Amino acid sequence: MPLHDTSYQHWEGAHLGLWRRRWAIARNGIAACLQIKGMGQLVVACWLAALVMTTLLFFVGQLLVADSIVVQWVGNLNPQLQAFVKTFTIWLEQHPEISVRTTQDVLFYYFGIFLMPVSIFALGLIMPVLITRDLASNAIIIYASKAVSRGDYFLGKFCTAFGLMVLTWLGPVCSAWFLGNLLAPDWRFFWHSRIAVFHAVVYGVSSMCILSVLALGVSATSLKEKSTAAFWFMWWIVGGVIAPIATHTKPWLRHVSFNFNLDQIALAVFRLGDDLKIAQDNVPIFGEMLRNIRPDTMAALNTPAIGGALLGLLAMGVLAATVVGKRVKPE
Amino acid sequence: MSGAPVIETQGLTKVFGPQRALDGVSLQVAPGAIGLLGPNGAGKSTFMKCLLQLQPITSGSAKLLGREVGREGREIRKRVGYTPEQDCHIPGMAGCEYVTYCAQLCGLPFQAARQRAHEMLDFVGMGQERYRKADTYSTGMRQRLKLAQAIVHDPEIVFLDEPTNGLDPKGQAQILELVQSLWKTYGITVVVSSHLMQDVDRICEQIIIIARGRVLVHDSLENLKARKRGAAEVVIASGQQKLQAACQQRQWPCELLANGHVKVEHKADSLNPLLALLHELKLAPLELIPSPNALEETFVQALEISHAAA
Repeated sequence: MPLHDTSYQHWEGAHLGLWRRRWAIARNGIAACLQIKGMGQLVVACWLAALVMTTLLFFVGQLLVADSIVVQWVGNLNPQLQAFVKTFTIWLEQHPEISVRTTQDVLFYYFGIFLMPVSIFALGLIMPVLITRDLASNAIIIYASKAVSRGDYFLGKFCTAFGLMVLTWLGPVCSAWFLGNLLAPDWRFFWHSRIAVFHAVVYGVSSMCILSVLALGVSATSLKEKSTAAFWFMWWIVGGVIAPIATHTKPWLRHVSFNFNLDQIALAVFRLGDDLKIAQDNVPIFGEMLRNIRPDTMAALNTPAIGGALLGLLAMGVLAATVVGKRVKPE
Repeated sequence: MSGAPVIETQGLTKVFGPQRALDGVSLQVAPGAIGLLGPNGAGKSTFMKCLLQLQPITSGSAKLLGREVGREGREIRKRVGYTPEQDCHIPGMAGCEYVTYCAQLCGLPFQAARQRAHEMLDFVGMGQERYRKADTYSTGMRQRLKLAQAIVHDPEIVFLDEPTNGLDPKGQAQILELVQSLWKTYGITVVVSSHLMQDVDRICEQIIIIARGRVLVHDSLENLKARKRGAAEVVIASGQQKLQAACQQRQWPCELLANGHVKVEHKADSLNPLLALLHELKLAPLELIPSPNALEETFVQALEISHAAA
């Protein structure tokens, strides 16, 4: 005899709205992602990188504090580096509105460029959790028979991929900016760095949206978990190999690589060429160092192939959406 | 049959390439326990899927719970439960997590969803195995899990596609008992699709027989049995030969079945003549089953007519 009432009870409460149901799909997806072997370590690595970035921003700020340990440490460097740091410090003192923005722009560009491949790798790991498993196990029928539409399902899954990248990309970027400027000697650093963090967020969010759509498309291509993950990594790696080779032969071919296209977006958003020119003009010793950069590299920094990149990503996005639309059906 | 119709279809047609899976199905189904019978490939599952919008309708119209199918999808599905024929659990999820998640998809808040998931798992008779991953479940457990996810949000109507597939007789009986109680005790309309007549005979009050995408019969089980009145199965501990001899004297065709029961065609609308005979013979019946094969005979007859028409 059961110890408690096992009879059927009718539900008297109110039903939650549509966004809560979509959020349930996303939350469940993110929880499943974090259970994947190695994912926890990857997320921790991204936050450690944020800590390193925070430390860098802290060091930059400490250059303005006369008796700080950083200044003392700089005193022990070789004369050339000392000269560089001193010129840089003078620039910081005289034109903080330009120097802070430019410095953080460059730092956040490289931070974003570091976090992008990590996030792409994380997406490869979660590929089965997105759509593949639901298709393989017929769970897609269960979604279709509940009070959510196909659009809600896609949105929930999109938020799963996006949510994971918030943990591996956007979260570390925003936290590093906030903590780095919190530890700065002047509150105005928050204001001076607003453009830099805006660039970082625009680049991060746009890339995360594009990558999420592409990941959903790849995840829907097969019922086999290993196949979809392999497809994702192959696309990433082969694209990465083709892009530099194609630069001198068939430039349009570079755009089959989504990471090349995202790099172009980064260059267009951050306008790194302009930043380097400002630094070159204000920190002469830095200008000496920049003169060693090859002209074609400088040209690439100054004139990113943004048109082709946007067109390439749009085509990829449409293709991915078509695959998802065709494949994700209850039958 | 009483109450506003829960299912209304008008010329419902579903075409897969050259094949018409549903061919102008027009029905009005009142609440109750409804059995959807038909041979494999008859269109039973397609009928359910069209109502649930898992398949787009080619032509015609359908209403479920008074709402237009195809226009108010989410609202309809909020009030409907469905157990597909095949497995449909999410890999890597424990049974209770899965049912909780299904409740959340229907709009229940997390805490309530979790509590209700446990209540429903209790209701379907799942014990501690609910904390195990659903991938490790036996067929019986999976059927229970499917039923729990279908009723966790307290639907007004539940569609069950072959709910006893792959179950042993004991498991079948338990699931059928649960399904029966959904309508009889809790007032939830149940639509059971099956090719097993005894399942439908046992729990359903209304019968819809589908073959070749057309509805051949739609009536209450009582009416169907009334059409076949005049036969009964007598379960007696002893005296079978004595009963057979007495029936032959009255020119009632009778047959001793392999299970020891005696099937008698007494040709009367009520069981009274048969009861009088048993009384006369001083035989105490353990059980009397009126119109024992009515459903099966109706089913076969309907199919024969359908084949002849084709």
